Amino acid sequence: MNAAAYYFVDTMESEASAIARGLRRRDPELLDRLIEQYQHRLLRYLVFLSGNRELAEDLFQETWIRVLERGHQYDGKHEFSTWLYAVARNLTIDYLRKKSPVSLDGLTNDEEEVSFDPADTRPSALEVVARHEHAERISAALVSLPAEYREAVVLRFQEELALEEISTITGAPLGTVKSRLYRGLNMLIPLLKGAQA
Amino acid sequence: MKGDIHNEARELIALGSALTNPQQTWLRTHLNECEACRNYSDGASHVVRALRSVPLAADSRLVRATQMRVRFHASRLREARERMWLIAMACVGVGFSAALTAPLLWRLFAWVGELAGLSRPVWEAGFVFFWIAPALLVSIPLLARGIHLPGGGERSRQ
Repeated sequence: MNAAAYYFVDTMESEASAIARGLRRRDPELLDRLIEQYQHRLLRYLVFLSGNRELAEDLFQETWIRVLERGHQYDGKHEFSTWLYAVARNLTIDYLRKKSPVSLDGLTNDEEEVSFDPADTRPSALEVVARHEHAERISAALVSLPAEYREAVVLRFQEELALEEISTITGAPLGTVKSRLYRGLNMLIPLLKGAQA
Repeated sequence: MKGDIHNEARELIALGSALTNPQQTWLRTHLNECEACRNYSDGASHVVRALRSVPLAADSRLVRATQMRVRFHASRLREARERMWLIAMACVGVGFSAALTAPLLWRLFAWVGELAGLSRPVWEAGFVFFWIAPALLVSIPLLARGIHLPGGGERSRQ
């Protein structure tokens, strides 16, 4: 490993251990900063995982409450985002199991509400409609995937996590993660053909 | 066997950028030769671009509400922790003083029992009751409030 890579790894580790120390102290300033830092990524992950914006917002809040309560369990050896996604994932699964006792595999056809609302950046009305349709199309395609494929695809291509991180978050072996990505992508390609990127 | 090569290429495409140098070289060579896999690769790139183009963002209201909720919950956890600490300290104090005063109290009960003409089991039972009564009185309301639970029993009430 060269000097730059050492520096990068060292910085990442010291940041992770600083977060771990802060979480053990339940430092409110640190938590405020982390909430702001991970707001979009975490919400996006929860929306894609649950397929429901409203539910995702509730789970977003609950995730941070759980981070506060169980912060001492974060050891600072992995990236904080990996641990955060794992917390969010477990919470979502717990919630959905309580709601209806099914596994994550069975959560794919929640067609009652799939609203991935675009962020409000004040574009023109036409742009809003186009953007909304575009988001709707992508969300519909994603929701049609089995949940474990959807999760792998979102974590890899949206959140740009490494395969090892996805494996840690989902608790699935690396080979399984790879095959989920492959199958998920195979299903998405025909569904999103022609969708403007 | 030819199908295996294409499947292998597509599996590598699905991994995105997580490829080793030899894998990248092999894939590039294969894509130059195979139109079907090139189309697949274009399709995959299109999917990735489409996914990243979804403008999904948390709004400031949600962030502020979460921060406030987390701070409020943190203060409640801190209070519960302080309460537990006080209870632990009280228990240590009581245990210490009990250990010191037990022999004296035993002699006092023996003397009173003798004076009142009580049999040994009776004043011994009185001593045991006197000994555990304060702990019982304190533990009953504490258990009822669920103070022994993490979070001061708030979760059990939610």
